[in-house]
Amino acid sequence: MTIMIDLKNVSYRYPVSDDFVLKNISFSIEKGKFSAIVGNNGSGKTTLCNTIRGFVPHFYKGDLDGEVIIDQTKMADYQLGQLGEKVGYVFQNPFIQVSGVKDNVFEEVAYGLENLGVPVEEIKIRVEEVLKLVKIEHLRDKNPFELSGGQRQRVALASIIVMDPEILVIDEPTSQLDPIGTEQIFDIIRLMKERGKTIILVEHKMDLIAEYADDLLVMHEGELVMQGPVREVFADPEFEKYQIQYPHVTEIALQLQKLGTALSFIPIRDEELAKALNRTGVAIHD
Amino acid sequence: MKQNFLLQLHPLTKFYFSLFILVAVLIVPGYIFSFAVFPILVLIAILAGVTKEFLSIVLKALLSVLVIVFIMQMFFYPGDEVLWKAGIFSITQEGLDYGLLLTSRILAIGAVFILFFRMTEVRDFVKSLEDKGLPPMGAYVVLSTLQIIPEMRRQANTIMEAQKTRGVETEGSLFVRAKAFIPTLTPLILSSIASTEERAITLESRAFSAPVKKTSLHQLTKNSADRILPIVYVVILVGLLVWRFFL
Amino acid sequence: MKRNFKDDFNMMAMLLIPIAVAVNLVGFQLANVLRLPIFLDTIGTILVGVIAGPWVALLAGLITNLINAIFNPVYLPYALTSMAIGVGAGLLSKYGFFKKIPKTIVSGIIITFIAVIVSAPITVLVFGGATGNTSSLITATFLASGQQLWSAVFSSTFITEIADKVVSVLIVYFIVQKMSDRYLSKMNYGYLYMKRNNKK
Repeated sequence: MTIMIDLKNVSYRYPVSDDFVLKNISFSIEKGKFSAIVGNNGSGKTTLCNTIRGFVPHFYKGDLDGEVIIDQTKMADYQLGQLGEKVGYVFQNPFIQVSGVKDNVFEEVAYGLENLGVPVEEIKIRVEEVLKLVKIEHLRDKNPFELSGGQRQRVALASIIVMDPEILVIDEPTSQLDPIGTEQIFDIIRLMKERGKTIILVEHKMDLIAEYADDLLVMHEGELVMQGPVREVFADPEFEKYQIQYPHVTEIALQLQKLGTALSFIPIRDEELAKALNRTGVAIHD
Repeated sequence: MKQNFLLQLHPLTKFYFSLFILVAVLIVPGYIFSFAVFPILVLIAILAGVTKEFLSIVLKALLSVLVIVFIMQMFFYPGDEVLWKAGIFSITQEGLDYGLLLTSRILAIGAVFILFFRMTEVRDFVKSLEDKGLPPMGAYVVLSTLQIIPEMRRQANTIMEAQKTRGVETEGSLFVRAKAFIPTLTPLILSSIASTEERAITLESRAFSAPVKKTSLHQLTKNSADRILPIVYVVILVGLLVWRFFL
Repeated sequence: MKRNFKDDFNMMAMLLIPIAVAVNLVGFQLANVLRLPIFLDTIGTILVGVIAGPWVALLAGLITNLINAIFNPVYLPYALTSMAIGVGAGLLSKYGFFKKIPKTIVSGIIITFIAVIVSAPITVLVFGGATGNTSSLITATFLASGQQLWSAVFSSTFITEIADKVVSVLIVYFIVQKMSDRYLSKMNYGYLYMKRNNKK
């Protein structure tokens, strides 16, 4: 498998700060994997995203040590402008993520392709496709400023997806959205995974991570403290130490386990609870 | 937009027309020519179907200026040929002439630019300048300014309403009203400046500084009138210059 | 630290320009709504001059007047004034004039002179001495009392500008004081105003 993202002993601090926000971080992510980054506020998740996208150190100055390698090429060898096609980046605030110069959604989504110099005919085809994929065709003539938060976030995602980057870095896309908006965003992310994109997602909604993500990276005070397949990380007793939420069902299951209920495995998805209990249930009745 | 021949002209053809009028008015001596320009502009406005907007903005923006400029010149322009005198005030022929000259020029030049912007979308004008070599960042700055202004006006109103409900006075003595200014403007400025960082990241995420030549869905077309008219302007201007200085 | 023309134009600085223009317009509107006797329509230009330097402020001033001119062409010739105010504020900031209140007031006075020196000739040459704003009335009074046109326009412009510019620079001073180091660190001239450096 090809390694898409490779960090080696990466440390970073912002220009106005004495403290390192990233401390000696190393990991590698294979092509096509969907990895979720979790951690409490201030643990360095967003800075890590910015590093993978190249905003650290191309945009945010400050001291960066170690090596960031994206698709076999060192970050230092990219220009900031070149990374747009390679790494797509969507962040939290849906209200600021508009170009600010386009009058309707269709043109808004087309903006990145115009900047990449894609021929107009091709732009039209690709934008049509993405509008359909993200299910925002009905918004095509609306002004981006008149949309709701959830609609804007989908437009923001569409605007990135249309550029067809191999890597998608998505930083808390749903934190300002309602459950329906959240569901729609995750639908899109799932589609992207099916298309073989390498996905990095920062998210607090653990149920959704448990359902969709392959791997989990746990950040704590600037350090990468745990990493591995989602199921293994949630099941590891060490996870509890960092006071990060569990998926609801895992939380319940761990409580039951403490109270003495035997579990055949630690469930991370709702539908697994019955299975985890049933077997033992059968065992008791035997 | 309606299928109107004048409105469909290339933005630069219309812009060159404004410059043409500007130069012509300055070349031709006397006020008669300059005053004669205005009815022509009104006629163009009628043909382009923008008469109402054009006249209302001319009235709002220019009328008071013209009246004041005229009165000032009439009374204070130095001259010997006194037409009327009352105490320290006197009207001279020279003052009257200069007042008419100045107002005729201000009216012609002011009105032609007002007409230009009634007949041209700013977005199209900026695009035409971009095609002529304005850097993309410059075009971005102008277009984004146009989108930010109404947004910020709205926010200022919201903040001011909020201040009122929190007991900040916006009525009363000058001092009281002045005190309302800072708490309204400061948060607006600070939050807008804070958002520039995310806006920069958004633009970079959309490959704004990609090292390639940008394309654009928005294309301006030139028809034969757009090729002929600028030549006509130049020919007329040269003619005026020859007439003014050599004949 | 040496800076040249190109250094001043990074993306963050360019993105400040629309905000500066909007602040100019909103400030003017607000001063109107509150019926204040001054314009407060250059706060944005001065602010970006102070934190992002003279060239960025020059553009902010230019664009402010171009956009105003869409609805009122009388603003167009005064674009020169706005640009000069921006450059002035930027240079004053570079030489440390916005760090303390007394020097800030001095820069307000210097900016007033810049505004007067650039706009009075425009008023005289383009509009014959008056454009119909408050200073026209004062100009007329001076003229009626026997003053020459140029000196009448200069003095009346100075009188109407001085309060406006001193109040504007003070507002800019307080706003810069309220900015966090995090944002200042991204601005061209931000290092001049970061609390962190001053403590050292």
